[in-house]
Amino acid sequence: MRILVVEDEPDLLRSIAQALREEGYAVDTAANGEDGLFNAENSEYDAVVLDVMMPKMDGWEMLARLRKTKKTPVLMLTARDQSRDRVRGLDTGADDYVVKPFDLPELFARLRALIRRSAGQTKNVIEVGDVIIDVAGRHVTRGGEAVPLTAREYALLEYLALHRGDLVTRTTLYEHLFDENDSTMSNLLDVHVSNLRKKLGAEFISTRRGHGYCIE
Amino acid sequence: MNDRMNDELQMTNGGKDPAGSSAIRHSSFSFLNSIRWRLQIWYGLILLAVLAGFGATAFQLERGRVYRQVDDELQRRAGALASLFRQPPRPRGAGGPPEGRPFDGPPEDQQPNGPLRGRNINDGPEFNGGSEGMREFHLPPQQARLFDETDTNGFFYVIWRRDGQELAHSTNAPVEEREQPIRGRLPLPQSRVRDPSVVLPPETRPGPPTPQPPQMRGIFRESVLSMPPGEIVLVGRSIAPQLHELRSAALMLTGVGAGILLLGLVGGWWLASRAIRPIEDISATAVKISAGDLSQRIDVGETESELGRLAGVLNSTFARLDAAFAQQQQFTSDAAHELRTPISVMLTQTQTTLNRERGAAEYRETLESCQRAAQRMRRLIESLLELARLDAGQQRMKQLRFDLAQIARDCVTLIRPLADQRRVKLICDVPPLECVGDSERLAQVMTNLLTNAITYNKENGEVRIQGEIKNGSVLLAVSDNGLGISREALPHVFDRFYRADSSRNSGNTGLGLAISKAIVEAHGGEIEVSSQPEVGSVFTVRLPVSG
Repeated sequence: MRILVVEDEPDLLRSIAQALREEGYAVDTAANGEDGLFNAENSEYDAVVLDVMMPKMDGWEMLARLRKTKKTPVLMLTARDQSRDRVRGLDTGADDYVVKPFDLPELFARLRALIRRSAGQTKNVIEVGDVIIDVAGRHVTRGGEAVPLTAREYALLEYLALHRGDLVTRTTLYEHLFDENDSTMSNLLDVHVSNLRKKLGAEFISTRRGHGYCIE
Repeated sequence: MNDRMNDELQMTNGGKDPAGSSAIRHSSFSFLNSIRWRLQIWYGLILLAVLAGFGATAFQLERGRVYRQVDDELQRRAGALASLFRQPPRPRGAGGPPEGRPFDGPPEDQQPNGPLRGRNINDGPEFNGGSEGMREFHLPPQQARLFDETDTNGFFYVIWRRDGQELAHSTNAPVEEREQPIRGRLPLPQSRVRDPSVVLPPETRPGPPTPQPPQMRGIFRESVLSMPPGEIVLVGRSIAPQLHELRSAALMLTGVGAGILLLGLVGGWWLASRAIRPIEDISATAVKISAGDLSQRIDVGETESELGRLAGVLNSTFARLDAAFAQQQQFTSDAAHELRTPISVMLTQTQTTLNRERGAAEYRETLESCQRAAQRMRRLIESLLELARLDAGQQRMKQLRFDLAQIARDCVTLIRPLADQRRVKLICDVPPLECVGDSERLAQVMTNLLTNAITYNKENGEVRIQGEIKNGSVLLAVSDNGLGISREALPHVFDRFYRADSSRNSGNTGLGLAISKAIVEAHGGEIEVSSQPEVGSVFTVRLPVSG
């Protein structure tokens, strides 16, 4: 999952990005609305965490402009907690709203729910045969036994499972699993896919040659 | 049409509600406390007095007119009768009483000394026949025409002799009038009249009869004439019909008066209600406002009336209150907002860091970031407290003499490292100027203005601080040739938490200029700004010389 964080307070931006990365997300950052809009329009994000009060272009405007081209789920992050601000945010096209100061676990939970809903899932547990993926707890069991996965492997599995039945192209996977800072070595998709097949069974992920991958 | 109906609906709704709420609020009050009732009572009393006065006057005038009419007639007849006696008196026989005939006629009135009645007082009235006594007294036709003796309500007359003996009367003269003793009708000594033996001294001086003003006896209006020789002539008339008419007139006046009073009271109630309605509207609105709904306004229908003007004044007061509250709310909300960001930083940082074991460098980074957030909160809280004190007027400005040039030099020295860092040229051009005030506070203002001028400047820009005395004020100007302030932002630069770029990472609190303004104003001075985008800004502080 790839997330864009747009926030003008450097310390906050840095710590949110770090926390999200440690949760296994690919994270891009922007320090103002203009940069944020550029990123959001030119890359595929699973969600955008957007601060309201920012220089150059504030969160409202960035959201309004983004909504002209993209449906990316947006979570507004703001210190304004008045009802009219929340209403305005939601009406402008925000999908959720978190008021500062927030608890990180809540932010993560809301982001997960946002991503899940945008993929058309309603539950936090995805079952594929005897493999059970707990999206909230970020752990996977096969036949009742826990399967240890690296963060990157889990992210790949989660994305394919959320878009179960769909053909997911390699480009899409690259866009959603790796942020702009990832080195080429770490985005070797084939390595991660073969590792997942070893752990969950060779038939678990099918390859459409020349197109991409799919979980049936 | 629809609009009008809606208006009316709204009016009735608007009218009902205040009436209802005021009724509830005043239910414990006596109706005497209601202005409407008091107005009504006063109005009623005044109207009643006016009507009573008017009615009484009208009645008096009418009665006077009726009486005067009757009196004129009475006087005319009395005069006619009197003329009978005014002939020059004749010598009364040869001594003693003139030979008279004894009364043998009327038994009712018989006096033992009846024969005293003389017949030849003069030649006027004719006492012919003799035996029938009074009936023998005949008026000459000229006078008789004046008395219709068949009409009981007509004019009658009675004539007495000076000793009290009845001399003659008209047939329609009421008995009680004739029986009435003569006393009381004339200002005669009572003893003379009471004692029949006393003969009134003959009036020697011939002259006009002494007229008495007509007066009422029961239902009779009568005029009494005392003739010079001593006869007394009474001319009277029953004025029962006139009295009856007067009574009807009085009744009618009372009725009309009562009607007018009733109409007046109804009209007065309507007027009072009309006059009170705006007050009730005002009161109802004030109640809603005191309940916390500051957006309420009084519907000012007629702006020219006294109440309309009052409503206008109240509305503007409410508007100012509303604005003040909104400003206060905005300020509180802004302050909370400003505090939330550093708290978010601390929470996020600590939660992330504590999620797992970290290396020393990471812990250090987290702690540094938390420290920055905490320092930012401290700055913010100090600024907020300072503003609150300045607002409350608790922050007393010292009134000490100091040299503005000295303070300016100190500030420039303090701020120079920042200017060097930003590669901005700092020029201090303040001549020695003696000022009175709080030098520390004014130094704070200068530092703030200089910091802003440097922060919002371009590389190799220039910041200049100048001072002079002009028109009895000390002028201190901080000018820069930096980024300038946009036209939209310019009116707001002194607003609390206002930042032209709505960013927070410049490190300032957004309160610096607001605090500077408060300090300058606490000195009795003023601060203003002029700016042109991309050319530069000038902040001017004007302080009174005396401090």
